Amino acid sequence: MTSTRFQRLSGYAVVLLALAFVGALYTAFAAPKSRAEDSGGTEQSMAVKAGRELFLQGCSTCHGLNLQGGAGGPSLIGVGASSVVFQVGSGRMPLYAGTVQAPRKKVKYTDAEIDQLAAYVQSKGGGPELPSGKLDDGELQMGGDLFRTNCASCHNFAGSGGALTYGKYAPELTEASARVIYSAMQSGPENMPRFSDNQLTPDEKKAIVRYVQFITKGSQPGGADLGRYGPVPEGLVIWLVGLTALVGITLWIGARQ
Amino acid sequence: MTDDNKSIRERLQAPADDEDANTGGDSRGSDVTENGFQNTDSRADLAARGRDDSQTAAPSAPAAPYELRHADLDAAAERSAERKVAFLFLLSVVGTVGFIWVFFASPYKYGESNNDWFTPLLAFFMALALTGIGAGAVKWAKSLMGDAEVVQERHDFASDPADLAETGQALVEGLQVTGLGRRKLLTGTLLLGAGSLLLLPLPLLLDLGPYAHKERLLRRTGWRKGVRLVRRNGSPVRLGDLEIGSLETVYPDVPGGDVLADSPTMLIRMLPSQLVPRHGREDWSIDGHIAYSVICTHLGCPVKLYEQQTHHLFCPCHQSTFDASHGAKVVFGPAARSLPQLPIAVDEEGYFVAQSDYTEPVGPSFWERKSRRFS
Repeated sequence: MTSTRFQRLSGYAVVLLALAFVGALYTAFAAPKSRAEDSGGTEQSMAVKAGRELFLQGCSTCHGLNLQGGAGGPSLIGVGASSVVFQVGSGRMPLYAGTVQAPRKKVKYTDAEIDQLAAYVQSKGGGPELPSGKLDDGELQMGGDLFRTNCASCHNFAGSGGALTYGKYAPELTEASARVIYSAMQSGPENMPRFSDNQLTPDEKKAIVRYVQFITKGSQPGGADLGRYGPVPEGLVIWLVGLTALVGITLWIGARQ
Repeated sequence: MTDDNKSIRERLQAPADDEDANTGGDSRGSDVTENGFQNTDSRADLAARGRDDSQTAAPSAPAAPYELRHADLDAAAERSAERKVAFLFLLSVVGTVGFIWVFFASPYKYGESNNDWFTPLLAFFMALALTGIGAGAVKWAKSLMGDAEVVQERHDFASDPADLAETGQALVEGLQVTGLGRRKLLTGTLLLGAGSLLLLPLPLLLDLGPYAHKERLLRRTGWRKGVRLVRRNGSPVRLGDLEIGSLETVYPDVPGGDVLADSPTMLIRMLPSQLVPRHGREDWSIDGHIAYSVICTHLGCPVKLYEQQTHHLFCPCHQSTFDASHGAKVVFGPAARSLPQLPIAVDEEGYFVAQSDYTEPVGPSFWERKSRRFS
């Protein structure tokens, strides 16, 4: 009696132990992978969903409820995530007035929100996307050569920008982040020409980004840079301010007490 | 204690018999009024004085009356001025020490935060060092040094008549020694040699004349039929490399093509529906790709400022604006002609090639190429 009951109980215990063992094995091998896949998919779709909310609130008045554009703004179907990174990441969007060109201003969205908006726009028709990883670790010398060939004609050899026709202008590059510079080359915002990966490879774009950061942030020796336009304004200031001061000092030395 | 060591104030307070030793300007002022200016030019006067440096005793212009300064009269003011000068000199020392301190204690390093202040601080301390010395010296001279005006005569500018005659004689003798007048052969060949030297610059002027015109130097570039359009790094451009709204600067694929000054060309791609080719040039562009010379027809600046929405090509030098979608015709500015267009095609491997050289001279007008408005 006692032995049969023991046998019955031990049978249940073995089945339970075996179940627990298989369950533990399954959890150990299969669960982490499936969880990662699950959450990754959810994260992506969550970003698109959150981006859609942000878009409907902040952008749809001009760009339309389905990105189709309207009287106030162009269609965004197929412009790609990199266009969003440039326009929103440099503060140009949301637009504050219908001027000839959108000026850089304070950024209204956080980086996370910009990524959500970008994911949403990317999900509608695709388009150029920023590569993952560092964007400013290119080769400096190649970047300088490419910058002078492709960028300096409008943005100035020191990245100070310059005038275009009818009130438009190439903006100065001093405040632009690596993401903004890279996405500008990819997306060709407003009147800037577009530079596809066939024209400038990702490595060449990274080289240009590094060079722009080098000339605008790295090599600043301090003092008044006078717009970094070079020897012409510096000479002008020397002539007007410096010589005036010298004449004044000469008059003071020559004056009788 | 001699007079030289005394201050002006002490000398002014000295007894009257000391006044002869004072070499100030006042003592000679009375001489000047007696001997007028007109006497100083007379040759007799100069001859009498000879050519030594004894002119200091000569009649001179009236010196301004000596005005006593605060520091000349007041011992306290003099000490105060002395202290100010010394303070300025010490300020200069501070500047020098500060300069060295900034340079070594806080050196410029790439990418560090003190960089914004490195150059301005160096400049500030250097200015302090130089200004301290300079301002101190000026203050010293203005307040403490004797500033009585002294008149110093110059000697006569004309040479002595005897010297003039002697020099003339020496020149004539020299000419006789060379025998330039007597030796007809040498004189003649010398003149011939010197005259033919004038022909040396003529070859340099040839480029301005009919020679250049005949060689068509200004009318041709590096482009030929079948020459590929390559980037600066030598890679050829393939149909499809450019997206709509792109610009690529291209050079002819010939040796040294990237440094030929007349050959840089821009290849632009726009929507084919936006491109309006000029009459007779319908087959010069392919699928919205069109190529123009980079060199402005006004004064030759590079016109590479392309606006992909308006298709304006903008010259940064004098604001000439060309419409890339309408044969690069001038829409604004001083340029007189459209940018020359390069006829392009695609070879069997899919790369862009030139159909021919430019059909008109690139760049600004020259004598044989008149400016014609909006040709």
